[in-house]
Amino acid sequence: MEIPYTRTNRPDTGLFNAKIGIWLFLASEVMLFGGLFSSYIFLRVGADYHWPVHELTLWPGFVNTIVLIVSSVTVVMAWANLKMRKIAQYKLCMWVTIICAGVFMCLKAYEYNGKFHHIGVKLTDGTILTGHFPEEGYRVKLKGGSTVTLNLQTADPAYFLKWCVTPNPQFKTEAGQPQPLDQQGALMAFIDALVPGDHDSSSLGQLRRDAAAKDQKSVKLTATAPLEFAVKESKTFSHTATSITFRDGTVVEGASVEDKMTLQVDKVDVRSSLDEDKALAWHYLGDEWKKAFEEHSKEEAESHKKFDPRDERYLRHVKQMEIHAPTVAEHNTQHGGKHSAEAHAPGEEHAAGGHAAHYPEIVIDRKDVAFWSSFTPKWNTYYAIYFTLTGLHGMHVVAGALVLFYFLVFDGRRLKEDPEHLANRVEVGGLFWHFVDLVWIFLFPLLYLL
Amino acid sequence: MAHDNHDDLSKHVKTYMKIGGWLIFFTFVTVGLSFVELPTHGDNLLVGMALAAFKATLVGLIFMHLNHERSLIYKVLLFTLVFVVGLFVLIYLSGQNPLHFGGFEGVTPGH
Amino acid sequence: MSAATATLDHHGAHAHDHSHDHHELGFWRKYIFSTDHKVIGIQYGLSGMVFLLFGFFLMMVMRWTIAYPGEAMPGMMMLTHLPLVGEFFTGWVERWAPGGVVSPALYNMFGAMHGTIMVFFGIVPLGFAAFGNFVMPLQIGTVDMAFPRLNMMSFWFFFISGVIMFGSFLLPTGAVQTGWTMYSPLADTDQMGVKNVWMHGHTWWLLAMVFNISASLLGSVNFITTAINLRAKGLTWFRVPFFTWAMMVTSFLLLLAFPPLEVAALLQLADRVFDASFYLPTGLVDGGKHIDISGGGNPLLYQHLFWFLAHPEVYVLILPAFAIISDVLPCNARRPLWGHKLMIYAALTLAFLSFIVWAHHMYLTGMGTMMSTFFQITTVLISVPSVILLTCLMITLWGGSIRYNTQMLFATAFLPMFGIGGLTGLPLAFTFLDLFLHDTYYVIGHFHYVVAPGTIFALFAGVYHWYPKITGRCMNDFLGKLHFWPSLLFMNVIFGPMLYQGMIGFHRRWYDGGKYFEQVTSGHLWTNEVISFGAWGLALSQVPFILNVFISIKGGKKVTSDNPWGATTIEWAAPNIPPHGNFVTEPVAYRGPYEYSVPGAKSDFTPQFEADAGTPASQAAVAQAHH
Repeated sequence: MEIPYTRTNRPDTGLFNAKIGIWLFLASEVMLFGGLFSSYIFLRVGADYHWPVHELTLWPGFVNTIVLIVSSVTVVMAWANLKMRKIAQYKLCMWVTIICAGVFMCLKAYEYNGKFHHIGVKLTDGTILTGHFPEEGYRVKLKGGSTVTLNLQTADPAYFLKWCVTPNPQFKTEAGQPQPLDQQGALMAFIDALVPGDHDSSSLGQLRRDAAAKDQKSVKLTATAPLEFAVKESKTFSHTATSITFRDGTVVEGASVEDKMTLQVDKVDVRSSLDEDKALAWHYLGDEWKKAFEEHSKEEAESHKKFDPRDERYLRHVKQMEIHAPTVAEHNTQHGGKHSAEAHAPGEEHAAGGHAAHYPEIVIDRKDVAFWSSFTPKWNTYYAIYFTLTGLHGMHVVAGALVLFYFLVFDGRRLKEDPEHLANRVEVGGLFWHFVDLVWIFLFPLLYLL
Repeated sequence: MAHDNHDDLSKHVKTYMKIGGWLIFFTFVTVGLSFVELPTHGDNLLVGMALAAFKATLVGLIFMHLNHERSLIYKVLLFTLVFVVGLFVLIYLSGQNPLHFGGFEGVTPGH
Repeated sequence: MSAATATLDHHGAHAHDHSHDHHELGFWRKYIFSTDHKVIGIQYGLSGMVFLLFGFFLMMVMRWTIAYPGEAMPGMMMLTHLPLVGEFFTGWVERWAPGGVVSPALYNMFGAMHGTIMVFFGIVPLGFAAFGNFVMPLQIGTVDMAFPRLNMMSFWFFFISGVIMFGSFLLPTGAVQTGWTMYSPLADTDQMGVKNVWMHGHTWWLLAMVFNISASLLGSVNFITTAINLRAKGLTWFRVPFFTWAMMVTSFLLLLAFPPLEVAALLQLADRVFDASFYLPTGLVDGGKHIDISGGGNPLLYQHLFWFLAHPEVYVLILPAFAIISDVLPCNARRPLWGHKLMIYAALTLAFLSFIVWAHHMYLTGMGTMMSTFFQITTVLISVPSVILLTCLMITLWGGSIRYNTQMLFATAFLPMFGIGGLTGLPLAFTFLDLFLHDTYYVIGHFHYVVAPGTIFALFAGVYHWYPKITGRCMNDFLGKLHFWPSLLFMNVIFGPMLYQGMIGFHRRWYDGGKYFEQVTSGHLWTNEVISFGAWGLALSQVPFILNVFISIKGGKKVTSDNPWGATTIEWAAPNIPPHGNFVTEPVAYRGPYEYSVPGAKSDFTPQFEADAGTPASQAAVAQAHH
């Protein structure tokens, strides 16, 4: 049995099966990205914050645009060469296309990595500071940890012990018995989550059974020596002045909890500040930086006179300042003459570590922070749609490159025996590849430029 | 399709390279224009999107051979385009409520 | 699956005679990872029916707590005493139905999953994927789908998504509980604080939907390509039966409407897993605390993306029903389908309009009067092609000599049942009435009339109609009637009172059936009990069907002809239990698809695939086909 019209065109439609198939598939892809683009419009039109324009570092996006255009040319040339049976050129073109895909994804990874480590902090008065955390990150710190209360239904010792800085913590029960907190294996934990019933043979499992027999919901353990914790905020449920509640329900009590955020500031944005003169940022950065900011504002206001002061473009230049040095003096010498409209994401060039030498470091009280996040989907809807669009597009790049790679490397027999069929396949793969390029043609200006 | 002829195809290959060059050129233009501050930012958006649409058309027509394709494929794409535009426009408008009911003649709503 | 396997084996020798050049495949490749469109169709069909039954079970549990809130459900505790699985259920029942009393959380869970399973795992796989896969390639006289391996992949994506969906019931958080529509912000923030978001029912729901949507996309690309490029010789577009047309239109709906739902699901996934705020407005407070999100999003975006799919989805649910009825009705009335062309154009118009009516689900969102009016107009317009379809089918019956076998009973019952469903929808199209009826049982009654006694009856008709082609035997007619009459009765007992309840003001999501809202419901609560007994009665009346399906595989009356109903379309040219590759000789279409009772013809039907016909008209058709 053979399916008709896999190689040749059906006379009345003039098409082979895969050609119809790929165009239908692309039609559904158009709807997929159409849905995403219309989400972009909806979010941008309805945004209640200053939509970022020219905020992303330009060059990786620009290079990627060129790379994709080149790959688009080579993939269609690969098809034409195969049609003409110029096998060497066909192979060369295909390799170039696949390498282009690789370059594209590497640059993408570089960009993403920068954003994962870049932090935005919105203070309670609406001022936004961006920058980097020191290497250890932002941690809620607990000192002199003495007791741990485990919620027996949900507790997961590995979950909270991961954040214990004190090496080798030991616990004893209220009765004074030593109580090890070993954890059941990951596999067993998974089975436990899926299949009701008690499969846990670890010490915690035993503890749980003992407590259940006594109708206890939780159990309190005492540390044999004071413990220190430094916890990622997202792992905590809440904390008080002396205790931290973890997301698994575990409560650790101690002498004191300190919740301060160290930030190496690379940009100040007062566009949403309640009162920019008294902005909280100056409380932390100091008057010298405030003065520098005012000078910067004045300069920018002068060069953007033609705009209405409510215009986004005016605000973007006048009410924001990038910081390029640890002190005001250095900042002025380094950046004195430079106030072009060209903006680049500060600090993304050096993804992690070593920022202290470049930026002023401040320590912010957590209670002054309304919201903070790295530049991930959490930071605002612009970054959310940025990651969704480019992430999905990146997956298409990978999928397209894999398909082309398959045709090039694993379809050798077809190349020898039935090159016409392979040409059809390459054509169809190429159509997908062009579509991927086409999407990027819209993505690049929408996300990087406009 | 006209591609069965080899000479024809080699000519096509040259076209592909030329179009690639133009696409790169227009990428530079797009970037440059985004730094030119037109009367409103909406104008910048309009120009940028028009350029992108033009580039996309080039890719579609030349690289994806939509300049000489079968009618069936045009039909499929036409419908898709109509629905995408519907999706854009209707979702956009539903957030805008462009028309207001001004009340009957002589009667102001709320009175 | 095993049941179908048995007969296929039984007829193996017979089937083998017809095969041209295919070599014998092993069990796994032949019945499990098969690329044969018929096997995939049967796989889809059986899993679809299992899902339908499962979704129905969920509803029966819900009906208990609606009728008797707070009372222990009989049989719930029995689960814990079952051999082997009893221990497994003990913890689960204790958590979700302590003492056998259905908890509100369980009610919400079952409610959300009932909708999801019925729509995405029951009706679409059965109506579109199963019948489409089995019948459509046969009907256009080809050997298989255009992309058999994609077809197999489509089923297995669907299978994976089903497993994930089932699995989510067993998670510690339970399955998703926020209604089958998953409206944000509730669906975004529900149980947001769980330790591991990946082990949450909602995340699993979204992942399952991504697989389900991918399966649908692969299926629809395949269907359209097959229908366009693999039609038999002579099968010009207007000789293609309405069945295949409807399947093609359905495929287009799936192809173009599903991607925005995929977007909706992805954005919701981003909201839940990556803390994005696509659907979350600024300043959202939950439990007296500001949620740790950036805000700036909009819950309406979700509704737009969701309903952009979910309204065309309605037509995905009913077009396959029309497809089946358009084959069953002419065949058993011995009359040509009235207005074949008209129906095709109506279906195309329906599909086109279905893309621009979605926001009539959103009148209450404060969308603005002008947009509401626009969607009101398109919604009223779309009733025109629907009425054309139904009217054509009714006129087909005129002057026929009707053969009341089981499939015909279901097919004729479909007409008034679907009619009620459609007509009760009209008031909802108008904003001023919808304000009153929105989210009440009236809406539930309306769309269930369309889908349950409407589409599901059509699906039953299809099963009885094509069963001989699938197994070589007929289903039992007595059991069939024992299935039909109680089903018809109970369907109306269930959904009729719902319309009445809705007008009183019963809200669709009350888990206690409205006991708490006495000022609205007092004096009317007894209707809940009536409906619930209707539901359980409907369950009982499915027993003859289930028995019939399985018993008839071995015990049904053997059919002696490849065309037992005297039908005219090409699938009846294939041998019963068609082998891999389908036809003995390549079929050719000589004439239109519905030549029943042609004056002067030698019998009361002239199949498309037979060259010699008595009438001059069909001789002309033959000439045209060869031309």
